[in-house]
Amino acid sequence: MSVQTESLTLVEAEHRRKLLLDPIPVEEMNRTILRAMTTTGRGYWITVAILALLVLIGLGGAWVYQMIWGMGVAGIRRPVFWGVYIANFVFWIGISHSGTFVSAILRVFKAEFRRPITRASEMMTTFALITAGMYPLIHLGRTWRFYWMIPYPNQRQLWPNFHSPLMWDMMAIFTYLIGSTLYLYLPLIPDLAMARDHCVRGWRRKLYRILALGWRGTEGQWSHLQTAITIFAFVIIPVMFSVHTIVSWDFGMTMVPGWSSSIFGPYFVTGAIFSGVSAVATVLLIVRKTMHLDYFLREEHFDALGKLILVFSFAWTYFFFADYLTEWYGGEAVGHQILTLQARGPVAPLWYTMLATNILIPWLTLWNKKVRTSPTALLLVTLGVNVGMYIERYIIVAGFLTRNRMPFDWGAYNPSPVELLISIGSLSLFVLLYALVSRLIPLVPVWEVHEGQIAHTLRRIGRTLVPSVAEME
Amino acid sequence: MAEPIVLMGLFNEVDPAADALDELRALGISDDEITVISGVPYSHHALGRPKPWERLPFFSLAGALVGFGVGIFFNVGTPLLYSIRVGGQPLVPIPPSAVITYEFTMMGLIIATFLGVLWQSGFPTYSPKHYDPEIAMGRIGIFFRCPPAKEEQARAVLARCGAEKIQRAERRPL
Repeated sequence: MSVQTESLTLVEAEHRRKLLLDPIPVEEMNRTILRAMTTTGRGYWITVAILALLVLIGLGGAWVYQMIWGMGVAGIRRPVFWGVYIANFVFWIGISHSGTFVSAILRVFKAEFRRPITRASEMMTTFALITAGMYPLIHLGRTWRFYWMIPYPNQRQLWPNFHSPLMWDMMAIFTYLIGSTLYLYLPLIPDLAMARDHCVRGWRRKLYRILALGWRGTEGQWSHLQTAITIFAFVIIPVMFSVHTIVSWDFGMTMVPGWSSSIFGPYFVTGAIFSGVSAVATVLLIVRKTMHLDYFLREEHFDALGKLILVFSFAWTYFFFADYLTEWYGGEAVGHQILTLQARGPVAPLWYTMLATNILIPWLTLWNKKVRTSPTALLLVTLGVNVGMYIERYIIVAGFLTRNRMPFDWGAYNPSPVELLISIGSLSLFVLLYALVSRLIPLVPVWEVHEGQIAHTLRRIGRTLVPSVAEME
Repeated sequence: MAEPIVLMGLFNEVDPAADALDELRALGISDDEITVISGVPYSHHALGRPKPWERLPFFSLAGALVGFGVGIFFNVGTPLLYSIRVGGQPLVPIPPSAVITYEFTMMGLIIATFLGVLWQSGFPTYSPKHYDPEIAMGRIGIFFRCPPAKEEQARAVLARCGAEKIQRAERRPL
């Protein structure tokens, strides 16, 4: 073998490590996905049982206890009336940005590495929104009074106030939940039909038959589906931005020190994408390991996600510093107290942890490809980012409220066991829903991967081989 | 006149499928009589087929307009139905109204787009249809109606172009 041929073989082997340049028969891809869905070991069921128990304790126990005994069982009291529940709400809304960012924005920009990871992240969006949506109800205390927010007039013909930021919140979350659920479902239809065709009998066959809606894959059906996916991708991006911006306005529209900031909209959105993309990487690493999806989820995907996380760490730091510096330079006494609270006050350990996990660690590690492609290292970094982002929300919500313009009214906040149990219950609910649904629907969009493999080829240019992509649409 | 029959040819690759479509047209089978079914989307250019008529954007637009109208009603109509003036603020402030109007517009657009897909695709439909489960394994199926007199010629075209499976199409429950 000549040196040149040997070199070409090496180049080709290197390129073939990428999913879209390493095709296998579609039948084999289908079977890999179906096997991942239908194979559940003892470990899986033990995990599900533990999660279900935690959900029962947190939501069936602690939440019901709070409903019976009232909000006094929570740790919120003067001057901190927004505590862990609202921090959790903001955090989960942030996680819900994962799917839209990874799926819609990367689809619009035709980032090819997105193909196998879109569905796993879209599922996160839907379940994170369900989890987030519970928190206003929990925080409401008298949960049954929720219907007061539904847009219809009461006996006196008085309608809800649509000009209130709380009403904006509900409408934005509702719109985003509907949009993201349909955006998850539409590209799933061809894969549900695939699952239907592979399941000969049993409850799965019935389920997939119903959900596939009679999909065959005619030219018209593909055309409608692709047009719809494109429309959804473009529409859901501004909806995503609006949701977290509106959540930030819950704070920004008040006169509370530390909250009343015009930069909160983009700051919150950037933080949401930062934590969302990190959560996607965490979940994909776990899914790859537990569902044996090594063929679909490769180093290249984690490498790309690692780069995105690093970029969003830069962006988040920029907004964080802009907000911090403005407060610092303003010199208002209460603003100074808030900065002191973070630097030397009771929340200082949390604040420094946040700076380490959101800035220091990502900046020191994620520039390195070895870290980005190491499952353990990336798992630790991405988990750290979400710990840091949770702390950020906690400090903004519960920390800032302990300091206000009247020092006699300063106070402290410690979450009560009820609040902690409800928080653990909701986290368990998210993981439980994900674990259950990942065994019901194809977690990787096989048709999108196959489409990408058809479009990708290795093309010889001069003395080397380069990947090239055909425009299929 | 004898009832037309429906034939099916299954292909592994798109090129022979596109060749077969050309030859079927040359045989006198019009595009209206042909349906291509595949496991991945191929553009009409790739198959040399006419562009499918797409009305989905109109559904989306109509939904957005309805959503906009609902948003305007909630923002402008409901405060006027029961006026409560608070702190000298305007009854219908424009900047806060823009937020809810925007959300309702988007919601209308999203729901209408989804309903548009269902409407245009005829979903849900569970009655037996011409289909072959092997399509889910990456095959491309060409289904076409042809007069019985042309069946042998059509089969020959499919065979010449490399169809893996040629048979009279069956209606299967989906």
